[in-house]
Amino acid sequence: MRRRALLQWLVSGAVTLPVWRADLSDAALAQADVLSTGHVFVLRDVATTVLPSAIGAKGQDEAVDSFLRWLREYQEGVPLSHGYGAPRLVRTGPSPAPGYASQITALQQAATERGGRFGALPLSERRAILDAAFKSAGIQNLPSRPDGKHVVADLMAHYFRSSAANDLCYNARIGRHTYRAIRVTTARPQPLSGGQGR
Amino acid sequence: MPVHESDVCVIGGGITAAMLVERLTELKPGLRITVVEAGRSIFDRENRGQYHRRALEYGEHPWHDDFIEDQQAKGMISMTMAVGGQALHWGGACNRFSEEDLRLKSMYGLADDWPITWTELERYYVEAERRLNVAGDTSPYPQDRRSAPYPQPAMPLSYNLQVLKKWAEQSGLKFSPLPMSRNVTAPFGGRGQCGLYDTCGDVCPTGARYSPDYTYQQLTAAKKVTLHDRMLVRRLVVEEGRSTIAMAQGYHQDRPNEVTEYRATQFILASGQCWSPHLLLLSTSARFPNGLANRSGAVGRFMNGHKFISAQATIADETFPGQNMTHSLISREYFRCATDKAFVRHDTRVWESSAGKEPRLRGATGELLLGDELLNEWRGRALKGSSVRLRTYYDSHPSRDSRLSLDPASKNRYGDPMPKIERRLDAAAEAREAATLAHCTAAFERMARASNGRLTGKPSVSDYWDHPAGGCRMGTDPATSVCDSFGRTHDHENLFVIGAPTLPTGGCTNGTLTFVALSLRSAAEVAKS
Repeated sequence: MRRRALLQWLVSGAVTLPVWRADLSDAALAQADVLSTGHVFVLRDVATTVLPSAIGAKGQDEAVDSFLRWLREYQEGVPLSHGYGAPRLVRTGPSPAPGYASQITALQQAATERGGRFGALPLSERRAILDAAFKSAGIQNLPSRPDGKHVVADLMAHYFRSSAANDLCYNARIGRHTYRAIRVTTARPQPLSGGQGR
Repeated sequence: MPVHESDVCVIGGGITAAMLVERLTELKPGLRITVVEAGRSIFDRENRGQYHRRALEYGEHPWHDDFIEDQQAKGMISMTMAVGGQALHWGGACNRFSEEDLRLKSMYGLADDWPITWTELERYYVEAERRLNVAGDTSPYPQDRRSAPYPQPAMPLSYNLQVLKKWAEQSGLKFSPLPMSRNVTAPFGGRGQCGLYDTCGDVCPTGARYSPDYTYQQLTAAKKVTLHDRMLVRRLVVEEGRSTIAMAQGYHQDRPNEVTEYRATQFILASGQCWSPHLLLLSTSARFPNGLANRSGAVGRFMNGHKFISAQATIADETFPGQNMTHSLISREYFRCATDKAFVRHDTRVWESSAGKEPRLRGATGELLLGDELLNEWRGRALKGSSVRLRTYYDSHPSRDSRLSLDPASKNRYGDPMPKIERRLDAAAEAREAATLAHCTAAFERMARASNGRLTGKPSVSDYWDHPAGGCRMGTDPATSVCDSFGRTHDHENLFVIGAPTLPTGGCTNGTLTFVALSLRSAAEVAKS
């Protein structure tokens, strides 16, 4: 979706969008250069449904930003880890960006057909749209890392497989795969916020 | 035609070559040493933080181009071929074998004895541990005697492993932190201190886990060693009328039609359990139609390593997966086996685990989970007790038919047949497979039950042999072995094979420390020559 079309869509929407989160500046456009601003806008809207509320709107936006960085830095044709035991050479495929764009457009269309913006639909409607999209993409479970099958499943995997999500799940400062002094790991991890943790 | 002359020509640039060469430069300063490696040098340590991130986010292999696409073997468990070899991305586990490994025949009437005493090997374990800066604790089993302490105290146990140690020891087994080649207390050997990225088996951003590329960089920078990388040695040539090796013939990846001759007084074959016997088998001639060092016909035979049994358990205690998943506990309880009991030997290992506690897209009835629903369902499973990963490496004795052969159906760019490795147990080992599985399953169940835990699913036997070794086994009898205990081949006095290929049997725990210890012992003998 081009910027003009997006703005028309926003203006014509029957529901109020969280416009404070819609950054259509050139800087944001440049940052999200693999998806159009309109696509990113829709993705941020979907993120409010598929990412946990505990990280807040700011955390959800940061998760989308991190996913867009992942997409921007994706490289084609790079050997994946060969594995050990039964090694084999597999390379990364083409960038998932074009497929993502089509999937976001399809989500937006499905939402429009059901009455408006994705995030403003009843949860049952949002679930039905995503369920159909995931089934159509052959997605059974959360991928271990984004695999290009569907942009929303990949956004979810990018967040829920992260060290931050692991910490959130256990309400503990574990910091998996991040730099930590060894002594930090010898004690029971501190809770993220007040209370006793898990 | 380029000709390189040196005192010692080392073929292969992995961990055993690194250790041997480092030791040789100390024993005989000024010795002209050339290391010839088929793979490339990957000396870009400044990028490893970035590679670590990309490996996690994209699954990319963090060692770029560490393989040669047409130089691969069937039955090989890693594709890596580069300066540093497979130890570029090993976990750093540094377990010793036990005395029983060296005396299987005399103690149990099984497999073969090694032509080296435990006391002798133990000296070199100490040296290997010092060079690799191993962090470990004294074993709680007095039979695991040591003549010197570890150079560093053991890697401190994470909170999770402390919980699991308490749990596992209720079974009566005694556990210790796994000895690791990691700079735990301070930087060492030009490498940084451990920052617990927990990706040791892929890439270590700080270099805390020993990696041979550091050794090669240091030795070449000091001009103690000449390193020729991307040079595949395809053939060893014997001197006319004598049995000594005259030269190795190499081919550079960029000059495939030009042979480079490496002439030396001593030749050290340090290409691991696959490519060492492969080169010997390829080096046929009218005088040596079965290849070199192969009067016994044992080259490429008795390929070993060990099989393993894996299981998962759930226990009531709480842990926090992700603290230190690459560290583990080890029990050496079953390294010993009473001679009047059914033979079974294995190590016993325990790791923290997140199995069954990963986020899921769908709930128990198949409904799609979104946002908070997904997090809540995940928490519901994750916070209920803990998962534990269990494994035993067990003694798996090879038959003579456990072999590496030349596969005419698979050839490299030069038309050389590539190796095909088919490992087979000997008859006695085959006959006790079911009993070994039953024994290990019972041990796992006893551990799980000790605190109201249970195994989730049946323990499974691996479909490959880990820590592969053999193919040029050592022995005292030239009719049944390829080399002596120093790795000197029986048939060619100036040709040594070092490290993994020389092992008659593969033990029942990680092999790298043993490969290194044997190579250091070989270095002393090479220096004498």
